[in-house]
Amino acid sequence: MPSQRPLRQKDLLGLRGVPREQLVRILDVAAGFRQVNERRIKKVPTLRGRTVVTAFFENSTRTRLSFELAAKRLSADTLSFSASTSSTTKGETLLDTARTLDAMRPDAVIVRHPASGAPHLLAKHFPWTVINAGDGINEHPTQALLDMLTMRDHLGDLQGRTVAIVGDVLHSRVARSNIFGLQTLGARVVVAGPGTMCPPALAELGVEVRHRIDEVVEEADVIMMLRIQRERLGRAMMSSTEEYAALYGLDERRLARAQAHTLVMHPGPINRGVEISPEVADGPRSVILEQVSNGLAVRMALMYLLLGDEGGGDAAA
Amino acid sequence: MLLLEGGRVLCPDGGIDALRDVLIGDGQIVAVLLPGEGPADVPRFPCHGRCIAPAFVDLAAQLGDPGFPWREDLASGSRAGAAGGFATLISSPATLPVLDRGAIVDHLVQRGRVAPGARVGVAGALTVGGLGQELAELGALAAAGAVAYSDGGAPVADAGVLRRALEYARPFGLPVIVRPGDPSLEQHGVMHEGVVSLSVGLRGVPEAAEEVGVTRVLALARATGARVHLSHVTTARAVAVLRAARAEGLPFTAAVPARHLLLTDAAVADSGYETRFRLMPPLRPERDRLALVRAVEDGVVDVVSPDHVPLGRVEKELEFQVAEPGAVGLESAFSATYTALAGDLEKTVRRLSLGPAAALGLRPRVCPGAPADLVVLDTDWVGVFGAPIWSKGRAEPLQGLPGRGRVVATFVGGRLAFDAAGR
Repeated sequence: MPSQRPLRQKDLLGLRGVPREQLVRILDVAAGFRQVNERRIKKVPTLRGRTVVTAFFENSTRTRLSFELAAKRLSADTLSFSASTSSTTKGETLLDTARTLDAMRPDAVIVRHPASGAPHLLAKHFPWTVINAGDGINEHPTQALLDMLTMRDHLGDLQGRTVAIVGDVLHSRVARSNIFGLQTLGARVVVAGPGTMCPPALAELGVEVRHRIDEVVEEADVIMMLRIQRERLGRAMMSSTEEYAALYGLDERRLARAQAHTLVMHPGPINRGVEISPEVADGPRSVILEQVSNGLAVRMALMYLLLGDEGGGDAAA
Repeated sequence: MLLLEGGRVLCPDGGIDALRDVLIGDGQIVAVLLPGEGPADVPRFPCHGRCIAPAFVDLAAQLGDPGFPWREDLASGSRAGAAGGFATLISSPATLPVLDRGAIVDHLVQRGRVAPGARVGVAGALTVGGLGQELAELGALAAAGAVAYSDGGAPVADAGVLRRALEYARPFGLPVIVRPGDPSLEQHGVMHEGVVSLSVGLRGVPEAAEEVGVTRVLALARATGARVHLSHVTTARAVAVLRAARAEGLPFTAAVPARHLLLTDAAVADSGYETRFRLMPPLRPERDRLALVRAVEDGVVDVVSPDHVPLGRVEKELEFQVAEPGAVGLESAFSATYTALAGDLEKTVRRLSLGPAAALGLRPRVCPGAPADLVVLDTDWVGVFGAPIWSKGRAEPLQGLPGRGRVVATFVGGRLAFDAAGR
């Protein structure tokens, strides 16, 4: 059973600057919560009487479902707010929307927003806990935590391991959170992609920048493929989807050069045949579905650590 | 008549830096006298321990008038200017309607003459609607009293249009104020592109955008012989281009926003996305800041500007990338410049007064017959930048930073337009 003390901080806005002990603690608690999800009665009373709001200002199904289920399994009351059915389309500001939420006295608000820094703005203005569920091109910390938990399950300590991130690293909040978190845990991060998506300047974040996927496949312990969507990219960011698949897609031929233990990961949703071939996505090295399961545990752990009562050691009992 | 008594008079162009009394009357300086030589029967304005210098000039103040009364209006902007030591503000045509017609310019010119603080002059739009496509009626704007041409904070995107605009403007004898930039490179950028933008996940403006802009404006100024003022120079690369152009003898004036001499892009990360640091051009890394300070010291950049872009709460209490870029600057520009130049008062006065005045063909001096546009400064003051008092704009990026020197009084054409002591 997890028995760690709750985190001292109010919010989780990103993994930049989060110390190693804290990351390890979150991952340890998440590992402990996994067994709750294997029981017949998948519910613990930890957050009974607390209210968790998911406020999604951008389309997302899997992340919202994962957070909502995590909150429900901790016995919290959940409330779901999404921008497409809200007044933001009528021009209400984020802070005004949040004032409305605030009037309902939530304990935590899970925020996904197309603007980088939007969760930070809310965290400054309101007393409730803010958990960043993806802000613009900035961070997606719970995705990186579930990625790290999955890696740890297979590889043990990540110190000295090599993680390759392939795709539009420049505009990926998944990549950014992983870069920060993995570096804190002592892993080496190598990124690969077209020059527009993996510019040399990324090296300033402490990663190694490559432009050929074959270079990174051989040395990587983990290959993380990012979703690519030409229509969502800015002007002149890439040529054709076909050329992208040819240059950066991960298929069995390329993967054959990897080490025997190398894992293939993807934050989903996947574009079969573009950044990843169906054979690789469904193949033995793919841990894509484990990532999803771990997402639930990570989100339960975070809510427990951020909202759980001081000294609530029997949270998952 | 009024005798400004007991101050140190600093007139860089007149070669004065000494204790003098200044007698003013009828809007002009009547005499500059040795201490004690002034007439006995004239009212005194005590300046003991203060410094008296030519008042400051701003070539590109956004006063939001007409069209944006929640940001600023002529009166509030004029008062903020006087409080910052400015006797003259040139209102930028970033207004609604844009100042692209003689009648609108004429109307604002009339109102600007009777503004309560600093006098407000008018820059007419260079292109229709400030959209950078069709030439505005530059002759009519000059006839209506415009003293410069500008498209506000927007670079003229089309180099061909800019070339024609400079050619067409030249015979009217007014300077053309351009923000050097390249909209296609700036697109979607909300801060400087670099390690900080990478870390905080905001889209960046590459420094090349300004370098391209400066290079283009100077090339076209050389080709057309037009008088240009580059309103926002903020990168080391742009300074290098200016330095080469100075060496060649190309005439131009160029300004650095005062706050860029003190702040860097790290402020965006350190503050957690505070929108008072959302600026255009954006704050730059330390190496650029140092290059800017050097350029202001050695005169490659001859103007320091307040870059006054007041915005309301509705434009700033938003997500960083959604917020409008801009911040107030009139009330803090002197302290910012004086602090950045490590207390070099003569250079501070040159960059805030003589430099921008030269762009308008003026030579501010403290001598008999000159307009009594004077600022009284407390150069010993040490403190912290506060919130703006007179401007309607709320966003002040310098707030909370330590600074030195403050404005204690401003005379505009002999009229006491600001007095910190409330006299």
